[in-house]
Amino acid sequence: MESKRRRDRRSWDWDSTECRAQLDEIFFRQHDYIQAGSPEHKEFWAFFERFQRFKQKRDVSGSNSNDEGGWEKKPRKSGDVNLGLPKEYDARYRINVSVCTRDVEERFSGSERRQQSTSGPGKEEVATCRLTLLHFLDFSQRQSFGKLAKLRREQRKLPIFQYRDRIIELVKTHPVVVVAGDTGCGKSTQVPQYLLSSGFSHIACTQPRRIACISLAKRVSFESLNQYGSKVGYQIRFETTRTPATKLLFLTEGLLLRQIQQDATLGQYEVLIVDEVHERHLHCDFLLGVLRSLLTLRPDLRLVLMSATINIQLFSAYFSHAPVLQVPGRLFPIQVIYQPVPPEEQPSRSEKLDPRPYLRVLQGIDQRYPPEERGDLLLFLSGVAEISTIQEACQTYATHTHRWIVLPLHSTLSLAQQDKVFDIAPPGVRKCIISTNIAETSVTIDGVRFVVDSGKVKEMSFDPKAKMQRLQEFWISRASSEQRKGRAGRTGPGVCYRLYAESDYEAFAPYPVPEIHRVALDSLVLQMKSMGLGDPRSFAFIDPPPAASIQTALTYLKEQGALDSHEELTSIGRLLAQLPVDVVIGKMLVLGCVFGLVEPVLTLAAALSVQSPFLRSSQHNPDCATARQPLHSNHGDPFTLLNTFNTWVQVKAERGGGSRKWCRRRGLEEQRLYEMVNLRRQFKELLKSHGLLEADQGAPCRQDRQQRRERHSERQKLHRLKRDHDLQEGTRRKVLRLEEGGEEGLGSSGSEGEESRKEQRDKGVDIQEVKFKLRHSVTELQEATSTSQDLSSRQQALMKLLLCRGLYPQLALPDEHNATRKDSEQIFHTRNKQGVIIHPTSVFASDPEVLHLPELESREPGAEKGESCKHQLLAFVTLLETNKPYVSNCVRVPALQALLLVASSVDTNADCTRLVLDGWLELCLSHGEAALRCLSSALMLRAEWERLLQAQLHQSTRGLAGPGPSRKDLEKLSEGLVRFLLYTEVSYSLRRLSALEIQNLYIGPQGSTGLNDTPVLNNLFPGMETEPHPLKGGLRVTSFLTYNCLANSKDLYSECLRTFWSCPNCDLYMPLTPLERMHHEATCRPAGEIHPEQEQGDGMGAGSKPSSTSSSLTRLYHCDICNKDLSLTSTEILKHKRQHL
Amino acid sequence: MDFVSTEGTPRGLFTCEFCELSTPYSYYGQKPPNTRGIVLLEECFVMKDPFSPEKEKFLILGSTCSLCHKTVCIGPDCSLFYTKRFCLRCVKEHLDQFPQQIQTELLKKKPAQTTGSASS
Ligand SMILES: [Zn+2]
Ligand SMILES: [Zn+2]
Repeated sequence: MESKRRRDRRSWDWDSTECRAQLDEIFFRQHDYIQAGSPEHKEFWAFFERFQRFKQKRDVSGSNSNDEGGWEKKPRKSGDVNLGLPKEYDARYRINVSVCTRDVEERFSGSERRQQSTSGPGKEEVATCRLTLLHFLDFSQRQSFGKLAKLRREQRKLPIFQYRDRIIELVKTHPVVVVAGDTGCGKSTQVPQYLLSSGFSHIACTQPRRIACISLAKRVSFESLNQYGSKVGYQIRFETTRTPATKLLFLTEGLLLRQIQQDATLGQYEVLIVDEVHERHLHCDFLLGVLRSLLTLRPDLRLVLMSATINIQLFSAYFSHAPVLQVPGRLFPIQVIYQPVPPEEQPSRSEKLDPRPYLRVLQGIDQRYPPEERGDLLLFLSGVAEISTIQEACQTYATHTHRWIVLPLHSTLSLAQQDKVFDIAPPGVRKCIISTNIAETSVTIDGVRFVVDSGKVKEMSFDPKAKMQRLQEFWISRASSEQRKGRAGRTGPGVCYRLYAESDYEAFAPYPVPEIHRVALDSLVLQMKSMGLGDPRSFAFIDPPPAASIQTALTYLKEQGALDSHEELTSIGRLLAQLPVDVVIGKMLVLGCVFGLVEPVLTLAAALSVQSPFLRSSQHNPDCATARQPLHSNHGDPFTLLNTFNTWVQVKAERGGGSRKWCRRRGLEEQRLYEMVNLRRQFKELLKSHGLLEADQGAPCRQDRQQRRERHSERQKLHRLKRDHDLQEGTRRKVLRLEEGGEEGLGSSGSEGEESRKEQRDKGVDIQEVKFKLRHSVTELQEATSTSQDLSSRQQALMKLLLCRGLYPQLALPDEHNATRKDSEQIFHTRNKQGVIIHPTSVFASDPEVLHLPELESREPGAEKGESCKHQLLAFVTLLETNKPYVSNCVRVPALQALLLVASSVDTNADCTRLVLDGWLELCLSHGEAALRCLSSALMLRAEWERLLQAQLHQSTRGLAGPGPSRKDLEKLSEGLVRFLLYTEVSYSLRRLSALEIQNLYIGPQGSTGLNDTPVLNNLFPGMETEPHPLKGGLRVTSFLTYNCLANSKDLYSECLRTFWSCPNCDLYMPLTPLERMHHEATCRPAGEIHPEQEQGDGMGAGSKPSSTSSSLTRLYHCDICNKDLSLTSTEILKHKRQHL
Repeated sequence: MDFVSTEGTPRGLFTCEFCELSTPYSYYGQKPPNTRGIVLLEECFVMKDPFSPEKEKFLILGSTCSLCHKTVCIGPDCSLFYTKRFCLRCVKEHLDQFPQQIQTELLKKKPAQTTGSASS
């Protein structure tokens, strides 16, 4: 009836925005339940149109003939109750909501009466709108309730649901409970909720992966209908949603360990849930050990271990036979087919993988299963190279059949590419996902029906002898094999093809090797030390690592100066333990602070701690390569990273979200750069909180009120964007196109199709950009990075030195014949590994000439063959053996200078023209005078560096107690280092010693006869205890320098080597041995520049000796010949002794 | 019971006596907070709508059957509203008093659904 009147009504038009606006004035005012302009308001008008169409259709069909409603007077059937229902049906009676707007309506109808001619909503329109609003409210209620009911239904259907009460009871009555259940039983989402609902309120649940923390927190928050509240939160490295109201917190294992470091009793939690303990990650194993001892301190603490049904007894037994609750998984039946690879198709060591066994499976599926029956294929291979081989073959097959979309999946792909595996294949087409073991546990893909298991995995192992990581291929364990198989039965019955024999399967190890048995334990041991857990060798691990591994770590930490000779933490060690990074990178940060190179060092440290932003797949794309060119630095990869980051910040400041495109052009994964910004900030805060960086250091922020207001409103906008994004997240899944996959993974990641697709996917909102802007101020960042934008050559030299000292002893020597070899055949040698090569991603792989000696220079008159002053070494971040041993992230440094400044062992012959560094590199200088000058300056610089570093560390560890090193001293030191690095022009030859030479390197202990002037030397140098070296022979001058201990060198008595020399600082002029001269230089200072006696630290942070006489350079000297006690400076002593000669 | 739940303090636990759907509610009555012109035509168990980002949207969980006074959720398998709330059991008992539309609607439903899925 409304519709009929509607048409003849004056100028009322439901489609007109003005007319609608008039009704908005009545129903959707600012304080109404639904407000004009809100999303619900928009939905309402959409609903209105649907509803009117629906009514019109019904009116036409004439089902609703009689409009007169009447209340039923008497029951039709004899019943005892009269419900008093209206006889005539009206849908409106089914709505339990009413809307009153009387006040406004009255006002409106009044105005209508006054001016009849104007258009406005009449009673009819208002009634129509009201009725529609009622239906709309009813509709939204039903919709939301439907969601709630579905959620509850699904929770009840989970296998774990029936164990709910049992779990709660066990946790209430036992300190430790093990809940074991396979994928899909719901333990990770449900157990925390059960515990919450039963009254526990401070629950932490650890996860091995950051991403799981976020997704679980979201899921659980949603399921407990708390999506926008704050009682369920997560905390990962850079992000937290934790508030004081948080009752359930998902966090990473590493983070919980850090919290224990702060608060050993972990008083903030009532229940700890450690999830996925069967994965046996390093941190998890360690955490279990720590928690076991914590339980004695906290008898009230509840610990729940959650695991797949793998090796459960191990965990139970470790916690004095804790009760185990086993929950069956929800897997559909899976058929296992063993299809061992025939011998002729088995690859020999060097060959590529033969794709035939894999293609046969694809063909078999196509023959046996009609394309309408959906179900994707997941193929497990050991590594990236294997994936691209098989991908290529499968793609050819797919292009031919049009039945498959082939997608690779591994962690070095861009996130967008990884994300594709979750998209849906069009009807009649299957996805063929070729993955590393990442899809075994970390990534769960629904809809997989077929699994192909190669039975292989590549795992990182650590070779403590070569101090090298090794990526090797192994057979998987039975547990992994079952895990892979299980991936076929998540959404329906499935098939698992095993490309090995059943007898192979039975010969597999039962479980994978725990991480703690495979990796370097440096960081772990350091953390144990800082947590005061005593001797790491006797720590009660659930499955103790080999003693040799712990020993290697202890030795390494001592080498790095993090532990002293008693294996106690040094001041720098204590600091390094706080930094969530590799020891090496932590060291760089500390060193950077001392030299005021904080900004670039922060960037470098961050860059070296995340995966490379340079995508491998773009490596061979010529457009990317050209676009990247300006970012490259031939000084080394860390500098390329630094350039890239700085330029990116610049682009962000100028173009905001345009940086995404900028990155794509250059084959850069922008996500990594975002990670770097976050990490960088975290480092900065850590350095500030440790007093290594002044709190006010950094960009000044002078903002007026206007700017603040703008910033505030911008932030609000960003928060809204983020919320909208969070709401949509996970709801949209794209349908893949048949031509997707294929070539893309093989190199052309920047193609047009890809770009438009990504833009579509992101619908214009770049959430990373939003988060970035919320967290950081671009202008501040820009100011910070601009200081490192154009490093002067001085700064560059210092940066290299810092990198080198941080990375030491990770140094590689170019092979002497590299200049005559092809670019691809350049080889290098480290101390423990010969013949390593530069990773193809490194700048030195494409530009090896910068490492060669200049052609002309080596032919200089007078210079011996191989002599040059331009020898260089590479300092590298990683040495990883895959099919070959590769070094990556390299930086080149001047060999002599770098070695003298960082090497922990410098051995010399009598005239210091032959130096052996760290027992493997030999430097020969033909010019004795220059050699001595060099060594002497290096000694002084190192001593001063050490002194200032210690001063800085002492200041930071003791709060603000003592004065830090003075700015003047620091400037003088960096000046000296730079001069040494850049302007030391001395020709030398450089080579690695042969094994035989190394064996016969030292003269060995000689007794007192060999060095008859030992007592003389001893007396010469206050503060420097010169003593015979017990093993090498010769004289130990400092912790790193041993004089005249090299065998086979020109066998001359040191007495004969005295030459006349005049000291530039005092008036000394006399014949001196090189050693005497060096010592004199080290202790003699120009007048007016009196220093406290230098401390000779042994490497960074190692215990500093108390200095004896601090204010004066004179000391008590007893002359045996005069038989007198004299108070003399060391120079005076020297002169005095000369008199008696 | 201490439940992690909605904005606004939970007042208790709502449990449907038919399907056992159970969730905390934060308001009981006819005038949920912050709803201005909206009035409910029956006394309802109400919570904040967890599926709406807006803080002030409410969600009706259920109410009491006007005949047998059992607590019942608003799910179509448990109850219906026709000027008053009726649980489906009561509806069936007095089916003849309901208009034809409702009778045919209920007959169309599968019997398995109408009983509601009780314990599992
Ligand atoms: Zn119900
Ligand atoms: Zn009833």
